[in-house]
Amino acid sequence: MIKKIIVFAGLILLTAALCTAEIWKAPDQEKAKERAKEVVPFIKEYKDDCQITRRMSLIDAGISIKNVQDVYFLLDSPVIKKREDHYEPVRFAHKRHAALTKDCTKCHHFRPKDENALETTRCSACHQDSFNPDHPERIGLKAAYHQQCMKCHQEEAKGPVDCKGCHLRNVPDHKNLVKLPDNADPFQVTAECLRCHDTQAEDMLKTAHWLWKGPSPYTTGHRKDIMHGKGTTALNNY
Amino acid sequence: MQLSRRSFFKIMGAAGASVTALPPSANAWKSKAPPDPYGCLVDLTRCVGCRKCEEACAEVNGLPTPERPNCQCIVFDKKRRPDDKAYTVVNRYFTGKLDQFDKPLPTYAKVQCMHCQDPACVSACIVGALTKDETGAVRYDATKCIGCRYCMVACPFEIPAYEYHDPITPRVIKCSFCYDRISKKGGLPGCATICPTEALTFGKRETIVKVAQKRLEENPGKYIDHVYGEKEVGGTSWLYISSVPFEKVNLPVLSDKPSPKLSETIQHSLFSYLWSPLALFGVLGALMYKSNKNQGEPENKGGY
Ligand code: SF4
Ligand code: SF4
Ligand code: SF4
Repeated sequence: MIKKIIVFAGLILLTAALCTAEIWKAPDQEKAKERAKEVVPFIKEYKDDCQITRRMSLIDAGISIKNVQDVYFLLDSPVIKKREDHYEPVRFAHKRHAALTKDCTKCHHFRPKDENALETTRCSACHQDSFNPDHPERIGLKAAYHQQCMKCHQEEAKGPVDCKGCHLRNVPDHKNLVKLPDNADPFQVTAECLRCHDTQAEDMLKTAHWLWKGPSPYTTGHRKDIMHGKGTTALNNY
Repeated sequence: MQLSRRSFFKIMGAAGASVTALPPSANAWKSKAPPDPYGCLVDLTRCVGCRKCEEACAEVNGLPTPERPNCQCIVFDKKRRPDDKAYTVVNRYFTGKLDQFDKPLPTYAKVQCMHCQDPACVSACIVGALTKDETGAVRYDATKCIGCRYCMVACPFEIPAYEYHDPITPRVIKCSFCYDRISKKGGLPGCATICPTEALTFGKRETIVKVAQKRLEENPGKYIDHVYGEKEVGGTSWLYISSVPFEKVNLPVLSDKPSPKLSETIQHSLFSYLWSPLALFGVLGALMYKSNKNQGEPENKGGY
């Protein structure tokens, strides 16, 4: 019981802190967002090595997955947004993928011809806008991402190959969609959400968030006793 | 004499051929293909069947949202054709190819107007409602169209559809090659813009043919060694490359001769001589007389 009170007090304090201080932002997410906004100079010429040569030269240069510094990228770019914008960008766990594949050349398949350039350049240096008449055989950034990710996921039979496995759909602006009176009460708000999201509501009714019961593999001692909640006391059931 | 449709055409063909034989070069057929059109390459090995092209096409052309836009399963159970509500559709084919886990591998193929270099539909249209543009687009002008639907019969790819449901102003419906977009500098067709894997490559036809040939060369064994549409019916603006035989994904085997060449040559040669219609009607008259005589007698006996 004491434990619970402490947790509760902690939660209240945390909420209070959030309200007063600025909203906390995840630093790596912010960094990824900034990075995704950059457009780097286009690399026209690349060295047409085969994958084995490529692996050898990475070993010669002393580059391996131990050197991976960037943990996380947002696969997004103004180059793609310029043409269309239907989905949220994919969050790509770079370091994790490197650790799983143990092979940088799977994605860093060629290098720039310029000897001074980095051995592993970012995708968007070589792949930019689609259908560039000067480089008709070079695929654009969006296609490069999709071909690379989907091919590997298929071959390895691991990782999603459908749209929603990686992307969220862009959330439409709800400003004009939601229609509520001023000072709406909670019932009105719920009803307004349900106006469009009835499937989600149906799904929600089957989850532990609604029932407050179900498998509890993560609770201390796998406790299953239910003290309060919508499924039991209906205290906060709206 | 029972005159079947087939034998009628045979006789007509012979009549046409004999007339064509007379003037060797006076009516030589000339291609009216634009010199530097745009083209679009469909690489079936890259298409993942996401149907985003269908959705984008509907969006940029103000068509109704495709049936189950996010579905990649039951929609593919039946083979679809472009119709009066969709300029383009994607179909799924199982051609016997297996992946590395021995699971049947689907091949997806997008269908739309091929924008032929010498389009049969344009040639068949008697009022000039269909025209081949400099951009390569075969354009349709609803204000000129009289609804005869000859284009639908003439098209070797069975593309044009008709708004049968509309009794007042029915139109012929087919892919416009996004003329309004591609005729502007840097403009791209809706479908090619959205395709996530660049299964659709847009550019000048000449460049696109080279890109296709290079892809075949650089990936030996991956593709069937043929660029579909490079020569078919005299060349089309939309081209296909594939790892499975083209007939299996409903791209018919067609001759390299533009379809208008044959029909126009016969028409023009027939009507370029004053006597030819006379000869034509003479032949027809004789046939009718003969068939009437044969049929007429027993009927007369029976009495009406
Ligand atoms: S595919 Fe058919 S409709 Fe399209 S241009 Fe060719 S003949 Fe005309
Ligand atoms: S070119 Fe335009 S009209 Fe034709 S299928 Fe693509 S999006 Fe539709
Ligand atoms: S958008 Fe591209 S990949 Fe998707 S179905 Fe159309 S052609 Fe295929």
